[in-house]
Amino acid sequence: MMMENPASVFASEWPERVESTPADHPVGTKRLLTGCVFLLILGVLAAFPFMVPNRFYIRLVNEMMIYGLLAMSLDVLLGYTGLLTFMHNAYLGLGAYLAGLFLIHVSPSSLWLAFLAGILCTSLIALPVGWVQVRTGGLAFALLTLAFGMMFFTIAWKWYAMTGGDDGLMGVPHPDITLFGWVLGSSGRPLEMYLFTLFIVSICFLLTWRIMHSPFGAVLEAIRENEERAAFIGINVRRYKLMGWMFACILASISGVLFILFRGYIGPTTMTAFSGAVILMMVLLGGMGSLWGPMIGAGIFIYLQDYISTKTEHWELFLGLVVILLVVFMPRGVAGLTEFLRRPERESR
Amino acid sequence: MEPFFYTRDLYKSFGGVLATNGVNLKIEEKGLLSIIGPNGAGKTTLINLVTGRIPVSSGEVIYEQRDITNRPPHELVKMGVCRTFQITSVFLNLSVFENVRIAKQAQHGGSLKLLSSRRSLKQVNEQAASILERLGLMDRARIPAKYLAYGDQRVLEVAIGMAGNPRVLFLDEPTAGMSPAETNRTAQLIRGLAEDLSIVLIEHDMDVVMSISDRITVMHYGSIIAEGTPKEIQANDVVREAYLGRDG
Repeated sequence: MMMENPASVFASEWPERVESTPADHPVGTKRLLTGCVFLLILGVLAAFPFMVPNRFYIRLVNEMMIYGLLAMSLDVLLGYTGLLTFMHNAYLGLGAYLAGLFLIHVSPSSLWLAFLAGILCTSLIALPVGWVQVRTGGLAFALLTLAFGMMFFTIAWKWYAMTGGDDGLMGVPHPDITLFGWVLGSSGRPLEMYLFTLFIVSICFLLTWRIMHSPFGAVLEAIRENEERAAFIGINVRRYKLMGWMFACILASISGVLFILFRGYIGPTTMTAFSGAVILMMVLLGGMGSLWGPMIGAGIFIYLQDYISTKTEHWELFLGLVVILLVVFMPRGVAGLTEFLRRPERESR
Repeated sequence: MEPFFYTRDLYKSFGGVLATNGVNLKIEEKGLLSIIGPNGAGKTTLINLVTGRIPVSSGEVIYEQRDITNRPPHELVKMGVCRTFQITSVFLNLSVFENVRIAKQAQHGGSLKLLSSRRSLKQVNEQAASILERLGLMDRARIPAKYLAYGDQRVLEVAIGMAGNPRVLFLDEPTAGMSPAETNRTAQLIRGLAEDLSIVLIEHDMDVVMSISDRITVMHYGSIIAEGTPKEIQANDVVREAYLGRDG
């Protein structure tokens, strides 16, 4: 009847969440510490392009942040809701193509309208897809993501008139980066695009962190842990799965808009199943269910990809090996390592 | 007067085999009703039918004069029809506290608060804590449910069921696999709950059934063969033959 959660194939156990009871409040210091670490990382990332004023590295880290956002959005589905999706890159692709088309055909200079167009149009597509998706669970859900993803890929690949086919969407204009009417820079210049990406990704991260730790996030976790039991405590499972799905797709579309602003180009290869598997690997590498883990995973993956491809053109082969080793020896990813370091003193039974 | 909760000619067939064969179950508004019967008598199937876990083949389920046949579980829970499972079904990677807290939250509301913290739902937290207190799990509230001893997981199962503020709570073998001491403690606990709400209990331990039940319904081959107080059931010849007779 009920199928085993296929997401559990990847990790025998999810990170344990030890919520404190209302009786004790050790949260103050922990929250302070988490906040400090976040600000530190934010500071280092903000200072990076000034310390290493090399266009190549600035663009590399920029790409890491964009894929980090996409990997984090996949974690909302896999790590928090327990839904395995093979082709979450489809929604980066949709966001990028749609925002790109908006910049080419409608308004080449309005950055925020391009954002709005990318997010809204992707949502309009993700909603009916999600409506079908959440009616399934387990393996069927995962296979449906493949089916829909391949349809989107084929459209991007074959609809020459609209998408440019296998040439991709070229010559997308780079609008100015504006905030409340102030021109802060251009999305075409690496340093300015880098800082803008950092700004957007940080906001998305904070918002997602907040939402996943809210009562709403608790519902998603309950669905991940035991879908049937969740229904029997009064949760409308389909409804909440759909909300989790929409949230993850909207985040992915934001990464897509950043992608098109950053590159000024998108091709159909970004939407292949292979690229989808890469995003999944990033999440597993970093450790699912932590939000920040997949971002680190994306960073490691893109760095390795870049490094290995300078040594050999068969980089996929070696990258595959590295990923296999990491997954075998760190089944819970980078995030699992930190939990190992601060193992909570557990009551014996 | 119409009963508080009842079924009318409930049938369920699995591939032509009748698992429940025209069952007319009656449940009163308060008190403890036990359903007993040999293995395969259709007790769990009956509970699965009335709580919306599996679809009914034919017949009706009526609760407070409303037809609730084949309603989805999450709606039934909101109406006060809750259950526990024979095979422990808790949220293993969540803390014991969170297991009860999320059940309370689902019943109480607040699940759409996207930007507040979980501890901001004060009432939910307090009520979850008081359930754990009542069931004696408070000292283990912070550990993940999967690290609980088996007997404690069974108690947690009941705690989650109670968190839904049920008016009728179906307990499917809550004491299965418990030690005699744990069984006893759980039986007393269930007896206490039955003062405030309607409990329907599937139980194999006859000593427990006879000592805590207000009424007993006996099932055999998918049908109800007897109903009555523990005394009446013990004196019933049909029951003796079908069920108790086995043990001499």
